[in-house]
Amino acid sequence: MATPTTATGPTTGPLAADFAAVLPDTCVITDEVGLRSYECDGLTGFRQVPAVVVLPRDAEEVAACVRVCARHGVPFVARGAGTGLSGGALPVADGVVISLQKLRRILEIDVENRRAVLEPGVFNLDITRAASPHGLYYAPDPSSQQVCTIGGNVAENSGGAHCLKYGFTTNHVLEMEVVLADGSLVTLGGPTGDQAGPDLRGLFIGSEGTLGICTKVTVRLLQTPESVRTLLADFPSIEAAGDVVGDIVEAAIIPAAVEMMDSLAMEAAEAATGAGLTVDAPAALIVELDGPADEVDAEFEHLTAICERHGATRLHVPTEAEERARVWKGRKAAFAAVGRISPDYIVQDGVVPRTRLAEVLTRIAEMGRDAGLRVANVFHAGDGNLHPLVLYSEAAGEHDAAEELSTQIAELCVELGGSLSGEHGIGTDKACSMPRMFSPDDLDVMHRVRLGFDPDSRCNPGKLFPTPRLCGERPGPYRPHPLEEAGVIERL
Amino acid sequence: MTDTQPPTHETGPSPDYTSERGEKAAPERADVLSGDFGSFDDHHPPAQELLDDCVHCGFCLPTCPTYALWGEEMDSPRGRIYLMEMAEKGEIPLEGAFTTHIDRCLGCMACVTACPSGVQYDRLLEATRPQIERNVPRSRADRLFREAIFTLFPYRRRLRAASLGGALYQKLRPATMDRLLAKLPRRLERLVAMESLLPPVSVRDAFARTPIFTPAVGTRRGRVGMLTGCVQDVFFHQVNLATVRVLAAEGHDVVAPAEQACCGALGLHAGREEESAERARALIAVFERAEVDVIAVNVAGCGSSMKEYGELLADDPVWADRAAAFSAKVRDVSEVLADALADSRAPRHRVDATVVYHDACHLGHAQKIRTQPRDVLRSIPGVTLTELPEAEICCGSAGIYNMLQPEAAGDLGRRKADNIRGTGADLLVTANPGCLLQIRKYLEGELPMLHPVQLLDASIRGVRPPGM
Amino acid sequence: MTTSDPTTVTPSSLEELRDAVLDRPGPIRVAGAGTAHDWAGTPAPAGTVLSTTGLSGIVTHNPGDMTAEVWAGTPFAQLQARLGEHHQRIAADPAREADGATLGGLFATADSGPRSLQYGSLRDVVIGATIVLADGTVARSGGHVIKNVAGYDLTKLLHGAHGTLGVLAALVLRLHPTPQVTATVAVPCDRAAMTDLARRVADSPVEAAAVAWHDGRLLALVEGSERGAEARARRLVETLGDEAGLLAPDDATAAWEAHDAAVRARPDDRAVLRFGVIPGSLSGVLDGLDTDTGGLTEVTASPRTGIATVALPADADVVAAAHRRVADAHGTSTLRQRPPGADLPAFGPAPASAALLRQVAASVDPDQRFGRGRLAPWLPLPSTTVGATA
Repeated sequence: MATPTTATGPTTGPLAADFAAVLPDTCVITDEVGLRSYECDGLTGFRQVPAVVVLPRDAEEVAACVRVCARHGVPFVARGAGTGLSGGALPVADGVVISLQKLRRILEIDVENRRAVLEPGVFNLDITRAASPHGLYYAPDPSSQQVCTIGGNVAENSGGAHCLKYGFTTNHVLEMEVVLADGSLVTLGGPTGDQAGPDLRGLFIGSEGTLGICTKVTVRLLQTPESVRTLLADFPSIEAAGDVVGDIVEAAIIPAAVEMMDSLAMEAAEAATGAGLTVDAPAALIVELDGPADEVDAEFEHLTAICERHGATRLHVPTEAEERARVWKGRKAAFAAVGRISPDYIVQDGVVPRTRLAEVLTRIAEMGRDAGLRVANVFHAGDGNLHPLVLYSEAAGEHDAAEELSTQIAELCVELGGSLSGEHGIGTDKACSMPRMFSPDDLDVMHRVRLGFDPDSRCNPGKLFPTPRLCGERPGPYRPHPLEEAGVIERL
Repeated sequence: MTDTQPPTHETGPSPDYTSERGEKAAPERADVLSGDFGSFDDHHPPAQELLDDCVHCGFCLPTCPTYALWGEEMDSPRGRIYLMEMAEKGEIPLEGAFTTHIDRCLGCMACVTACPSGVQYDRLLEATRPQIERNVPRSRADRLFREAIFTLFPYRRRLRAASLGGALYQKLRPATMDRLLAKLPRRLERLVAMESLLPPVSVRDAFARTPIFTPAVGTRRGRVGMLTGCVQDVFFHQVNLATVRVLAAEGHDVVAPAEQACCGALGLHAGREEESAERARALIAVFERAEVDVIAVNVAGCGSSMKEYGELLADDPVWADRAAAFSAKVRDVSEVLADALADSRAPRHRVDATVVYHDACHLGHAQKIRTQPRDVLRSIPGVTLTELPEAEICCGSAGIYNMLQPEAAGDLGRRKADNIRGTGADLLVTANPGCLLQIRKYLEGELPMLHPVQLLDASIRGVRPPGM
Repeated sequence: MTTSDPTTVTPSSLEELRDAVLDRPGPIRVAGAGTAHDWAGTPAPAGTVLSTTGLSGIVTHNPGDMTAEVWAGTPFAQLQARLGEHHQRIAADPAREADGATLGGLFATADSGPRSLQYGSLRDVVIGATIVLADGTVARSGGHVIKNVAGYDLTKLLHGAHGTLGVLAALVLRLHPTPQVTATVAVPCDRAAMTDLARRVADSPVEAAAVAWHDGRLLALVEGSERGAEARARRLVETLGDEAGLLAPDDATAAWEAHDAAVRARPDDRAVLRFGVIPGSLSGVLDGLDTDTGGLTEVTASPRTGIATVALPADADVVAAAHRRVADAHGTSTLRQRPPGADLPAFGPAPASAALLRQVAASVDPDQRFGRGRLAPWLPLPSTTVGATA
């Protein structure tokens, strides 16, 4: 017990020795304490100690590590900052964790062509920090943008609050360098985002580390909008706030962001950040408009009129950039801040068609009451992406009930014609729910594509696809999609 | 002098296991197996409810200096809390890797600022370090080095003697010294680090005393007690004098009791709890006798600890209330001066300079004091404040860290120096002697460095700021 | 080799489409409106032409959610007209729309127009698809919500696949509101000046939806509200100097139609190449191609995206050299229109990812039934079956 440095078993011995041949000693972790530090990502409910953790320093070293894995026939899991909320970076037993946290260089900010070339470990927010002196920024802004990495964003196809207008990672990555399961390095995409031939870049983005490891990313940078106007509006009910979102869409306004929070979420966020949220308002919207001043001013007038029409109880317009940043900080810190009002909680991530928001929220409230658990709601209202936070106490033995409620909520989203995940990914957490959304044939085709990339399924196995080991011999039964039932779509 | 070494952030921390048992094999560890506190003993182990606050979100990672350097989970706040959890459950022993990773923490508390869940990492760390000091036998070299630091630094007289030697030494220091030092074996690198930190100090400054009583200029606002500090009073005596002048000019009687000694901050941050508690009691008694309204501190690290005396002595029935009352009076000098801004008594003269203000961790992160020093600096006509990229990341000083972990501290120091250079400022201002010593080492001579009160003092007196 | 005509089947439901794939033996060539029949690689002989034109129309349109599911064989122009009734549109403007191209055809050929500067190409607005594989497997990916990361984005695999790998039955699209006003600013300029002028457009806060150079002038398109768009266009005129002017609506329409006509042109004895390079390299590559080919014609260029479409002599060596020049500039290129029967290289030198493409193809269409020859030589013809199926 005294010396923790050599916890190498019979399999890790030669494996670790091979890594030591391609990396400095300090970049190969085999001691028990070190390995256990990597046993989970941002979703701590799933834990697995890996055999070895390696920290390569450049793309060539990543490729060399993958080749060592290939030679030994062991699986590997790429890991960025380990902030994922679906267990996507959960290690595999006897497998290798390849941390990309030493590949953190911003290789180029190309102002003329509005591109940035990045190593995968660069923090999302640092791209904008580096670009902003040139009047440019990187659009996708997941709530965890200060810590999540661009490599992780590629794996998850991350969106963020502003994706309603600006899209997701897949819409902003032009080109990528990728290490495949055999250790070969290939480039996907091209300088314009156009690629001659099939869009393998688009396929790779959002594949949750199951198709390879991205080692270099070229992203588009956008011009910082001339005008940004943010409105924080309180409403007497969630429904009223929802109606406002509908009217915004009807008015042909595409806001940069429309975020909704309920009072429980605001209570937590306010405690954490002092962002100026009204903690006793039943619902609040944060609406942000950006673009050329002429357009934004016209739209903003329209927007305030819509809010007033629906009985807004407070309209707050932060004018200073600093004040606006504080409002966003309040919103973006909401998940973690819930730790202040509940000992434990689960963050869910489902999507419904925006027009069914009110319905899904009513159902969630009912389900929460039935389960005897509180649910706080934070969501990207513009695109129907919900983040119900199921609050519970591990100590009070509520864990299983909370897990069940959380899963029910995700599956409810599918039932209403939506998706299991809007941005956190399927990972380990929702792999077993995949058959609720996809037929065996759908999943089989995905799997065949995967085999084209990784014939032995050694890249992040056990994620995204339901497996008997994870889900029991019989994965949850397929239930017809409501559109299918309505005869809108057919399945043969 | 470590420039010739490869930058460590590329390879990760060197295996600096000085804290691991050095000489003989570990005995059977009873604490790994038994007790409600796992591997910790029962004297204030990290509280489970504080550990539970961490939801593993990772928001702390980018602001953690060691994570910024190496990108390793175990050397991040989230990772260290995870290790504390494992130790609390008795799954890992304290000695070995656990101690190594806790030792590598700078205690800068940037993570506390970054944490959206309100995890009190400061309290967790302060509970963990004494556990290590009590329960983990350190290697002989490590033990001796730590003892040497704590035998020297908290004692003004000894520091004066050392500074005398130092002043002489710096005069005589042969040009070949750097090359000689660079050749020293790695195990002596801490001595090299200590050597290179020695600031230029005049013998006169080192032996000068801060006046015991200085009356307010004009109508009196109140009676302020002043901590003169140990390192500060010897190496940065001019800062103390400037503090006295500025406070007096703003209408305060300034009392600097002669019998005050070290506040215990250095030891407290290193886990030497008992020693620090003793120093705290002594300092409380001194300032009780001085009968002051406010105790002004111009050293961020000291102020941070003195504000925590209430917690440090909470278990002591005799001292608990007195400590709480003391802590309630402690203010950073910038807080005292910022309060006076609305009704300022001392006219300022113009100082035309672009000034970059470096937030000392123990001021910004630990005491949440960020706007007050900036407001005070902005009250000087002609001063343009500029902000520092990566402002939240520690400069590597961190109390005695740059002596204990010289390699990491060196990388952080260079990183901070690069960021400071990038601002193109004329002047660096920061409110902690440790930061000044550390940054000076990597920016020697490139731009003047001052404590904010020195700049304000120069402005009030209408003289050229030191070094400009 | 025999020359017997292939059999054309035109399924009108998903079931018929799947049955056609299962019932017909051997290679299948997928066809929409046929507007890109000669794009990319020369198709190998196939016994069956699978026409998607029977799979036409909107499956479902949810105006409140701004999404629609549409059969792949729906003519794009017709689709836009239908959506326009709800003041919505697909934010894409490929030139072939005017020739009657289908949604699926535009998607499979990765076609896009000038508005891709702001909105990307069809890949960026398609959120789901139903596809049929060569073994009759019907698979869906994505869904009916804009934001969705569940499962692989299989749809992307068919973007630019030119009818290989699988056949698209239906696509789900995210829609955008139709702008109230569009305005076009034009500046006469030669090609050498386009880069700097386009940069000025980009650096202004006006946010042009498209910037294109054609026939001696740079066109910048502004879209937006009644109040905003006009004001922005006027600002753009100021930014671009005395030569710049706001085009009258009819002139603007004519200017863009002329641009699109050049993209769609089929000049005699010439082949059309579309390529993309880093925007800063575009001018240099165009100049180089001018020299290499003895003069480009039908040049349209989008100086902010780096995409250009040009006509050059229909000569295999000249086309190969053009592909190489683009590849040397780290760009990508695809051959488009060409004279009937011309045997010209469709793509440039194979990238390292071509091996990956072959593995993926082997996994989803192991016998290469769909679109055989379209991605050659990156996806080479199966050696055993060449000629055997004709």
